Amino acid sequence: MTIRPATVALVLFFAATLAFFSVSAPRFATATNYENLMAGFSFVAILAMGQAFPILVRGIDLSIGAIVGLVGMVVFDLTLIFHVPGYVILPVALVVGMLAGALNGVLVVVLRLQPFIATLATLAAYRGLTYTISGRQLVPGLSTTPITDRWIVGIENYFDVGGWLGVNKLLAMPWFPLSFFIMLALFALFQTLVLATRFGRDLYAVGGNYEAARLAGINTGRVIITAYALSGLCAAIAALIMVARFTTATEALGTGSELTAIAAAVIGGVSLAGGIGSMFGPALGAFLLGAVLLGLTLQGVPQFVQQIITGAILLAAVGYDRLLVVRRQRRLAANLAQAG
Amino acid sequence: MSTINGTRSPQIAQRVAANALPLAMAAIVVVFAIAQPAFLTPDNLIGIVRQVALIGIMATCMTFVIMTGGVDLSVGPVLAIAGLVSFYCLQADLPLAVVILAGLAVGVLIGTFNGLVIAFLQLPPIIVTLATLSIVRGSALILGGPEQHLIRNEPAYSFIGAGSLFGLPFSIYIFALVAAVMIFVQRRTPLGLLVTAIGDNERAAHLSGHRTRITKTLVYAISGFGAALAGIIQSSQVHTALATYGPFGTELDVIAAVVLGGTSIMGGNGSVARTLLGVFFLGIVNNGMNILNVPIDIQLIAKGAIIVIALAIAARRS
Repeated sequence: MTIRPATVALVLFFAATLAFFSVSAPRFATATNYENLMAGFSFVAILAMGQAFPILVRGIDLSIGAIVGLVGMVVFDLTLIFHVPGYVILPVALVVGMLAGALNGVLVVVLRLQPFIATLATLAAYRGLTYTISGRQLVPGLSTTPITDRWIVGIENYFDVGGWLGVNKLLAMPWFPLSFFIMLALFALFQTLVLATRFGRDLYAVGGNYEAARLAGINTGRVIITAYALSGLCAAIAALIMVARFTTATEALGTGSELTAIAAAVIGGVSLAGGIGSMFGPALGAFLLGAVLLGLTLQGVPQFVQQIITGAILLAAVGYDRLLVVRRQRRLAANLAQAG
Repeated sequence: MSTINGTRSPQIAQRVAANALPLAMAAIVVVFAIAQPAFLTPDNLIGIVRQVALIGIMATCMTFVIMTGGVDLSVGPVLAIAGLVSFYCLQADLPLAVVILAGLAVGVLIGTFNGLVIAFLQLPPIIVTLATLSIVRGSALILGGPEQHLIRNEPAYSFIGAGSLFGLPFSIYIFALVAAVMIFVQRRTPLGLLVTAIGDNERAAHLSGHRTRITKTLVYAISGFGAALAGIIQSSQVHTALATYGPFGTELDVIAAVVLGGTSIMGGNGSVARTLLGVFFLGIVNNGMNILNVPIDIQLIAKGAIIVIALAIAARRS
């Protein structure tokens, strides 16, 4: 595995961003701020890694925000209405997310719908389903009851890593949220999956050249459905993290998060043309967005300006990606000319 | 001979697929009319056209974008900022023509920016317009703040969205005019031909000496124009300009109407007239379900299911 120049650029840019805000924004280089960054953007990183799977096979998943809402409401109902124990709810939530994602894949593969349209339709459908099963409306009075199941709210937990390592006296370390470790574990799992397994090879093959992959005997349908199922799984995990933080779920949970996830994935160098990218980029892309937003907030920049800057970063990221592609093509053309 | 047959049979199949939507529409109208006679009253039918006018204008103006294989996610914030700009021009006591032109100009400028970046830098349309969605929303909020701006004592401006002419809401005339112009442009001007050519095979169109980049830029400018026009009509209709109008999901409704009409999101195949069918189909379904008191959740699920079924049929038959 060679490290792509885009990845190096992303890491450098991330470091530069941290350095810039550490100097210019008050209280940016503090333990509390890094704790906020990890607590507030680990689930965004998880969503972005999930989103990378469909994008790697030249698709897109617009429905993840709706899946977050759906899974959140399933958790809400199971724990507050049916009093199901949390250790049962957790696997159920993951399965619901995976099934919702797999259905997207089925629509794309079996009904041959464009991914953009298929997941646009399920975005509406899953959000509607969330309202239908909403325990907030089915059982009046439940909307103000917090979720207390320790298996679920236990996800919102912080670890004093600095204390364990004994470096607290030298350096104020942030307390690490559990969601950050979940993100790290998923990253390790997914990175291994895409880089070192047969499924990963098939994923790049299908995304790089669908027809060639099909002719090479790869079960393209299964690869694509799995990619969407993994995206749904990540949405479910993100939903659990959010429900644990808010100790409740609303019908609107996760609205719009698909756009943030797509932005983070693209900033992380996952090409919309398919077949290019890994899991490191999307995860770091999410934290880059987070660092910029937190830094600007601490600098006192109004939230509205932050939206403009987020858009500008997104444009710069795709622009840079395009620049690399053009350069690669030129080099290829030059090599061919020499060889000829 | 075999090549002629080879090209003709998919065309016939596409015709069948194209007619599936009007047939389904007729069936739905019958069902709603039986379930609730109030559905077929003239007032309700006019109401439907009025309700779909905003989405309809944006959808007819975005059809070319989708036909070239692109998409415009930025229409919601453009709608909001056009309303705000018009509001501030009204505040400054500028003549009505200037007010409207200023509002439209903002939309055209943003659309042109989208188009230039997409056509000349060759960046993916979904990401570029996602970025402008964020940028324009932020700009609208800076310009207008989070509060409502009431448009009072501006009878001429209010007439655009709230007035009526010969018993019909004026906004319907605007919608009809925009639709007619766009259909004319598609069928009777070089631009329409070129849009189809780019969608079919952009490289081939480029190599045949057509100005594909200028055309693509123009197409996004038209989409921005449509969104701005919708923004002016809306602000005039509700006598308010607000930076958060055209909330997240507006662009998805518009895109849904276009693709329901049979325009392929991959580009090429499509028509403005059929987009109108998609617009009215969604409008009738929404209106009928509202009349029948179908709860919002079932409406959302039904909308998703309808899009999937309609496109699955189209994909099967072509």
